[in-house]
This record gives sequence, structure tokens and C-alpha cells, in this order.
Amino acid sequence: MSADPARAELDARVLAWMHEAAAGRFARDEARFEALALDLFAFQYERCPPYRRFCEMRARTPKQLRCADQIPCVPTGAFKELALRSFPPERRVHVFRTSGSSGERRGELELDTLALYEASVLPTLAQLLFPDWPSGRRGRMRVLAPSADEAPDSSLSHMFSVLLRARGDRESGFDIAQGTLRSEELLRQLARAREEARPVALLGTAFAFVHLLEELERRGVAIELAAGSRVMETGGFKGRSRELPRDELHAWIARSLGIPRARIVNQYGMTELASQFYDSSLARPGEPRRKLGPPWARVRVLDPVTAEPVADGEIGSLSILDLANTGSVLAIQSADLGRRVGDGFEVLGRESGAEARGCSIAADLLLGGGAE
Amino acid sequence: MRLLAGEPGAREIREQLRSLRSAGRALRARPTHALYGPLGELLDAFGAERSAARDALAAALAANSGFSGAVLREGLRRGFSAWTAASLRELVELELRTGAQAATAAPPGRRTARELLGFETTATFLAGSIPMPTLLEVVAPLALRSPVLIKTSAGDRISAHRIAEVLAGIDRELGECVRVADFAGEDAACTQAACGAACVIATGSDESVAALRARVGSSQRFLAHGHRLSLEVLGAAALAPRELAGWAERIALDTSLWDQLGCLSPIAVYVVGADLAASARLASALARAFADAEALLPRGAVPASALARASFELAEAEMRAAGGSPVEVFRGSGASFAVVREADAALRPTPLYRFLRVHPVADADELLRALAPLGPQLACAGVAGFGEADAALAARLLALGASRVCRPGELQSPPLSWPRDGRPVLRSLAREVSSELRD
Repeated sequence: MSADPARAELDARVLAWMHEAAAGRFARDEARFEALALDLFAFQYERCPPYRRFCEMRARTPKQLRCADQIPCVPTGAFKELALRSFPPERRVHVFRTSGSSGERRGELELDTLALYEASVLPTLAQLLFPDWPSGRRGRMRVLAPSADEAPDSSLSHMFSVLLRARGDRESGFDIAQGTLRSEELLRQLARAREEARPVALLGTAFAFVHLLEELERRGVAIELAAGSRVMETGGFKGRSRELPRDELHAWIARSLGIPRARIVNQYGMTELASQFYDSSLARPGEPRRKLGPPWARVRVLDPVTAEPVADGEIGSLSILDLANTGSVLAIQSADLGRRVGDGFEVLGRESGAEARGCSIAADLLLGGGAE
Repeated sequence: MRLLAGEPGAREIREQLRSLRSAGRALRARPTHALYGPLGELLDAFGAERSAARDALAAALAANSGFSGAVLREGLRRGFSAWTAASLRELVELELRTGAQAATAAPPGRRTARELLGFETTATFLAGSIPMPTLLEVVAPLALRSPVLIKTSAGDRISAHRIAEVLAGIDRELGECVRVADFAGEDAACTQAACGAACVIATGSDESVAALRARVGSSQRFLAHGHRLSLEVLGAAALAPRELAGWAERIALDTSLWDQLGCLSPIAVYVVGADLAASARLASALARAFADAEALLPRGAVPASALARASFELAEAEMRAAGGSPVEVFRGSGASFAVVREADAALRPTPLYRFLRVHPVADADELLRALAPLGPQLACAGVAGFGEADAALAARLLALGASRVCRPGELQSPPLSWPRDGRPVLRSLAREVSSELRD
């Protein structure tokens, strides 16, 4: 718990909401969100000097704000440039870093506690990835990502470690080590689970899935995982030798692992956020696929010119208010486009709607393909 | 416009190539004056100070190119201004002196020297919606007596047809040596059929170029023009109070034309040897120049992704400023442009659509170090303000990778002879051959 009483009080309020969600009350409460968001903004405005100056430049101070949606959003790219923390540097206990190619500057999220991050992960996953698992049940999980021991600065690896510790059975584990997919061991595990008719949750990065699928193709085999199995993939293909549209990836997974498309879920998350968002297909089967997240996070789709919310269905920039970000900044502007779909949203990536009108190459393409 | 598709479309394209091969026989028999004369007329038709052909093209493009009418008119006027019959003669003289004579004068079997021959057919795959390159893609193969198939881009299904029509009006037989095909870039059958030409020219992104390269055999000529970028470099003399506004206007013009989407559009300005205050004055002058340019050359359509990217980059710059870095942001009303005065030379993403970064660098050495990663993609640099050192800096930029150096304000008016991507305009489309048999 933070030594800063104001922060401790805020953490306690957010954690209380997360504990309620873990106990089964995973419900939105906009009045509660508004009050917490404005209090948290006032705290971060005081404790994070660069953010305070940023807000002042936009004439958005705690006294001037009337609602949480007016809180100025920090672009994720700023985490590459500045230490955006709302606690003294000596309180830092952990750092998550964005992925990036060698030599490229990486964004950093500094943390003085992992309590909120971990408390946010489990109820969200329980609700959106494992809605059919009884509370407390452990199951088989194989992770196509390195463990947190091997990649301590990866928030994704940390998330998987937390999940495995809380919900994985004895045969659950990580299948990437020293940057290599241990396909032999993984395929043996999957075959055994199949023989035992045991459902498997296969979780990992999109690119690791491509490696697995290519390995299956190379061997000329397809696996029919047991009913109840599911896949969660996340991340893009930045800096990779191969890119694959998400639809094609999901079709390939379905074909090669015998998992229905509805049980293949994409996670939308970023290092700068403590909360994550998941495709709704497991939690809300039969409904239009959209991204859903925990009640302590709010996603807005904004007009990039006016920064006002766009009409339902229209494309805009995704910005996120995440109350679990108590130690940094709660309002984050992503580089992604999206659109609202019912009570959730759809992520369209960074190039949607772009036309190849010219022959100029934006410098970011030369710099490795994006701001994050 | 009729979009070809699938196998029926592919059949039509193969038929077009057959007819081009047939037309090519007459083309190769043409005497020099009967070739360069009409091609020069074609260039003059679009490049003249007053040009009905150019006006009609701009008007036709205004409806669906995404560019504003004013940008199209001014961009085409400036772009074509240096492309004249006289400049074609100079280009031919420069690149084809021996080839032009030999290809017309010497009958087969009696050639005794090296010579340049055009391919039996050339197919050009256009990309994007900037119309200027289309005219050159028609003229250059024909200047080598190679009939040409032009595959239009999704962003411009108009220019190639118009240019072919104007050429046919000047010289019907020469017009028969140009065919224009409209089909989707993803159409495998049509693409493969068009790749049946002896020489294939690909333009576009690395992915588009690679996809075409994979369809072309080793006995064919394959030429690629990938995406490129340009920039401006100013020395201290250009920042003097009496000079500053003028150079800022020229840079704003270079950037505003084609909404910064062309390979000759600057993505950044480097200020050499000036302090932060000087680069701040330039950024401020640029912001004023962009605001003025917006009134004369309104920006066209901007995709949501570019607006979002610009908003993201500006917020990121403001955040750096809030963190104490001497970064300054200038925004146009309605996000019509953005200028970011940077604190250092570090390369940063550029969303285009009139988004310019101003970087201070201590000296030419630091400039060259900063630009090193861009070298292979560099098209053009606008240079001013170094006095007698202009030429030395130009030489270093050319050595780095640029294929052209000019003055700010002239980036969008390349000469016909500009060796784009470091390759000759005509010779790169030719076969160089020799015979050891003597008379």
C-alpha cells in the first residue's frame, strides 16, 4: 500500500471495486466511476508535474473539470519520453516496458505497487475469457509467451503469470523460452489434453501463434482440441517478418486447432494500461463481437480534430480512462482508431480508412512502424 | 471507366499487349523527328503556361482524387512547367545519343557499336493519386520506341486515359502505342496478364513492389519505384530577418502541394547552425505561411487515421514540452496544418497531410548523422542559406542517398531529366546491346 495517504485512499477505493467484481459483481457504475476518476485526476495533477503542466497547457485543471470525459489524455508515446508517475522515484518497485526493436526507445510504465494491476487482471479474465468456469476452478493453460521470470519487464508476461498462479492447473505453463517456441513440448501437452478430453486455454501473442501454426503445417498435422478449449491472442506484428490480418489468423487457428471462431478471443491492451479489453464472443455469445472491459475502465471514441466523442458507429481515436492506473496517469490516448459497438468498441488499428494517395513514406515507417 | 476483372479481364489485357506488339513494329520504324516531335507536343500540351489539357485534367481529377481543385491546378502547373519539348530533346541528347541514332539508322545485322533499344512492350503499374508521374510513364517508354500498357491506380483512374487521348489527338498512330487498363491491384489474373510485358515498372509500397516482382520472370526487365521522402535544409543565411518569411513561404508551398503526400514533399526542415530561438522563429514563420497557403491551396480529404495520428503526435510533442523540453507546437485552425519545433535532430513519426517538424542541428556533420537512416529512402533535399557552402552540402546529401537537390520552393517542379531513385529516366527502360559484326 502506498505511503501517500491520499494515494492509499484512492487505491483502497479502486481495489474495493475490483474485489467486488472478483466476488461476482462485475457491473458498471457510472456515478462511482465519475467520482473516482475526478478524485484520481486531482491527485495525479498534483503528484505528476509533467502531467500537471500538460493539463495547464490545455486549460484543464481539477477546478475546471466537470466530468471525467474532460480529463486530458496522455498519448502512449509520451511514456517513451517522460517518467509519468505519481509517486516519488524511490518508491518504484517495478517497470513494464513496451516492446520494440533493438535501438528503438521503449515506453516505460513505472509502478510502486503491482496490487492494482493484479487485482484488475483476474476478475476481468474471469468475466470475459472464462465466463463458463466456476469461480476458483483451475484449468489447463498453455502460454505462448515467455514467463515473467524470463521477461520481467513485460506486462503481458506478468499478466499470464498472475493468471497461471491463480487459475492454472499443475500441467499449465509457458511454452516460449529464450525467445523460442518449444513446439515439441507444447504439442505433446496438447495431444495429452486431447486424449484426456481436457479443454485447454491457449494464450499468447499473435506472432507466437503464427509460429505454432506454421509448425503444425510443417508437420502436416491439425489438432482437434477438446470441447471447451479457447484461444486468447494479443498484440500485433510490428517489426516481424510477417503480418497477418486478424481474421485470417483466427481462421487459421480454427482450422489447425479445431477451435470454433467464437472461442477465439483477441485481447486489446497496452503496457501503459493496467486494465485490458477482450472480444465479447465468450462472455456474450451470439451477440455482435466487440471489445469489453472492466467497469473501472472507460473507452471513448473521439474525433481526432475536436477531441469530442463521435456518433455511435463512426470512426475515431480510442482513448481510455483506466482507474487502475493510480500510480501513473489514468487518461491515455492510444494511436489506434476504433468505433463504438453497443456497450463495447471495435479496434480498427492505425491505418483504417487510409488511402494510399501518395508516394511519400511517413518517417515512422522507417523508424519501425508506429508510435508504440 | 470500366474495371477489368478476373480471367475475362486478363484476356482483354493479353489482347491489349498483342495489339501493342503489333503497333510497336510501326513505332520502331519511325524516324527520330516523327517520334520526338509528337511526344514533345504532348509535353507542351500539358506544360504550357496556359493549357486546356492540363485544366481539363485538373477538373476531372477534382471530383475523386482527394486533392482540392486549387492543389491540383497549381500542382500540375508547377509539375509540368519544366517538362517541355525542349527538355525532352535535351533528355534524349543526354541519355540516348548513341542509342537514338543506332536504333533508327542501322538495319539489323549491321550494328557495330553499343546501342540502346526499347523493349518490345512496357507495362507500368501506377500507384497513388498524384497524377504527375503518369505523363512521364507514358512518354519515357515511347521515347525508346516501346509501346506501353499503363495500369491505373485505384486513386487515379483518370490521368492515364486523358493523356492517352491527348496523344492520340496529336498523333493517332502513336496513340495506338498506349493502352490503359483499369483493374484492382489485388486482381491476380489481370496483374499476371499485365506482367506479360517485356519490361515491367512497379510503383508503390514495398509490399506492392514485392508482389509484382514475384510475378516477373528473370528474362524480363523489372524496375521499381518505391516510396520515398524529401526534406528541406536551411542554413543561417536563410534565417536572416529579411530572408526568413520568403523561405518559409517556399517550404510551405513545397509541403502544401499534393498535401505532403508526394515523394518530393518535405517531411521535415533541418536548421543548421542556428540556435533554438532561430528555429523557433522559422517554425513560427512556417505556421504563418501554412495559414496563408491554406487560403490559396486548401487541403483535400484527410483520412481519419491521419487525423488521429496527427493528434497523437501533437499531444506527444506537447507532453514533451510539459516535461521541460524546448518543443513548441503550432496548429492550424481545424487541424489544417501542424508545425512542431523540435528540440533536437531525432527522427520522429510524420503523419503527413501538412505536418512538418523543424529540427535544429549544430552543423552539417550532425545533419548527415541524423539523416543517415533515411539515406536509402531520400528523394530530394531543398537547400538554402549556406552561401558558397551550398554546393558542398548538396554533394554530401547526394552521397547520402538523395537523387536531387534544389532550392526550397522548387521541390514539386522536378526537371524531366531528374534521375528518380538514382536511375536515368530513359536508359533504365532500355536494353543496352552490342554487335561484334563489322561492315
